[in-house]
Amino acid sequence: MIAPETARLLRKTVARFVDREVRPVANRLEEGKEFPWELFRRAADLGFFRMRYPKEKGGAGGNATLFNIMCEELARGYMSLAAITAMQCLMCTDFIFKFGTDAIRDEYFHPAMRGEKVGAFCLTEPDAGTDLASIRTIAEPDGDGYVINGLKTWITNAPVADMFTVLCLTDRKSGLKGANFFLVDRKTAGVSVSKKFDKMGTRAAVIAEVAFENARVPAANRLGEEGRGMANLMRILAEIRAMTAALSLGLARAAYDDSLRYVKERHAFGSPIGSYQLIRAKIANMATEIEASRLMLYWVTDMLDRGAKCLKEASMAKYFVSEVACRACDEATRIFGAYSYSNEYDVNRYFRDTRFLLFGGGTSEILQDIIGRELGL
Amino acid sequence: MKIIVCVKRVPDTETRIRIAAGGKGIDNSEANFVLNPYDEYAVEEAIRIKEKTQAEVAVLSYGPEEATKEIRTAIAMGADKGILIKDPKALVRDAGAVASVLAAALKGMQFDLLFFGKQAIDSDEASVGPMTAQLLKLPCISFINKLEIGNGTVTAQRDVEGGKEVVASPMPVALTAQKGLNEPRLPALKGIMRAKKIPIEELAPAQVKDRVEVISLELPPQRKGGKVVGEGKDAAVPLAKLLKTEARVI
Repeated sequence: MIAPETARLLRKTVARFVDREVRPVANRLEEGKEFPWELFRRAADLGFFRMRYPKEKGGAGGNATLFNIMCEELARGYMSLAAITAMQCLMCTDFIFKFGTDAIRDEYFHPAMRGEKVGAFCLTEPDAGTDLASIRTIAEPDGDGYVINGLKTWITNAPVADMFTVLCLTDRKSGLKGANFFLVDRKTAGVSVSKKFDKMGTRAAVIAEVAFENARVPAANRLGEEGRGMANLMRILAEIRAMTAALSLGLARAAYDDSLRYVKERHAFGSPIGSYQLIRAKIANMATEIEASRLMLYWVTDMLDRGAKCLKEASMAKYFVSEVACRACDEATRIFGAYSYSNEYDVNRYFRDTRFLLFGGGTSEILQDIIGRELGL
Repeated sequence: MKIIVCVKRVPDTETRIRIAAGGKGIDNSEANFVLNPYDEYAVEEAIRIKEKTQAEVAVLSYGPEEATKEIRTAIAMGADKGILIKDPKALVRDAGAVASVLAAALKGMQFDLLFFGKQAIDSDEASVGPMTAQLLKLPCISFINKLEIGNGTVTAQRDVEGGKEVVASPMPVALTAQKGLNEPRLPALKGIMRAKKIPIEELAPAQVKDRVEVISLELPPQRKGGKVVGEGKDAAVPLAKLLKTEARVI
């Protein structure tokens, strides 16, 4: 049980870190398009990466609510840093922590917690994104290990990653029933990383393709029981969707905060623009949808903390809050007018970063379909 | 070594100040409260000494129940324990009364260093530290921006008009922290998770009277809008004229 006082102190601390150290450099980092090493190490020093893991095993003993408060506040500051931190806390380390041997944990998990190693999570392939069942990357048993061949794309952190958690088939005939996650060290012969993608937003969260060509890994690098890959992924899917909702909420709040300040300062026709009804309506809608998003997100994290099944609810939260973020950032650009068209304004960055939220954690379209199916259709 | 840091819960600097009904106090009902920023320098310095010397750091606050939040912030930064002298009226008392309450509580405690922030950012009096030291008959070095711990002594540096002053004192000693003493840390996650688990000791305040009374409070006059006197070099002459005749600054 986590005390409300702990949640309050955490939010205040992360908010302070963001306001002091992150927001002032976000636009510069975005322009540089490089992995933000300094902030990544600061996040490690502040213990952020340890959040979800139990205290007795090198974690901080936080829960889903605390993890999402942290993600929300970081995203209010800078989406690239929030995305990198969330990856390092969750997808890039979860399988290594849960299924790695002690030796693997010593070599990869603990250094990742200290910010000495960067992880990446490889699901998507050129012909398999939303339709994960079409993946082709294969890990064939070979002597005392596996040989991996395939191509993964849209891999966040890949250009700087030290290790990859890779979804592979071990048996093409069984499809996803023969899917497993494998830990692959970047230094493994046969692993190559493409040059980083040039993208619209979240430019410091560097992304590339990772190719595996006869990359050999020991048997112990299979993370989880044979054939349990998809089942193990489903276990953290609700967490991933809640986290994406938290990132969305943080971004929506940033757009709202900047807009609220601006409509009080900017004058037109002799009055602050916030005194005009059409502008007030925009601000009112943003504020209302943000409050609704907050309730929805922390309703889901409460379910996660109680161990309740909540994939449907987490999908709803991710779908709803990411769309709220898109609307809030769109309205912010209208409120700022031509200034939002300049790369020097934060709202320009917010607007570009919304697109990242639409794809990560499931598109709105696939989530609507999943919710419909969960409702018995 | 034992260190006690006295801290205050204050409204943060972004709070819009509103005068309460009656015109003698501030309406803090919508304020966000924080640990007084100058007290943060004091807490940070105490924790740095602890990290070097295994000292024990206690945080003491005279405040309402809610001041436990600021005490816990200091614990999250690295302090070992917290003590609250609980009084719902604490934050509106005069400096002499606050110093008397603190001194009465401190009389029963052992310490080598007694830290304060140089002033609280709400009342800005910079009095409680030196007054408490006086009541306890302790040497006091105020506004320090550098500190070295010796064998039973401290050497501190403070800014004086146009230069620096280096002073020494035996322990126990009271010190008030000035900006520049250090860069206070943000609490790390480990500290945040630990802060709630440390019990905060509660004390009742000594009965003392306020002697200074606020007669009235008023906000500064609203600033008038600026005036555009011209553009480019054409503006120079009228601007100089107005600075001389209207603003009377040249």
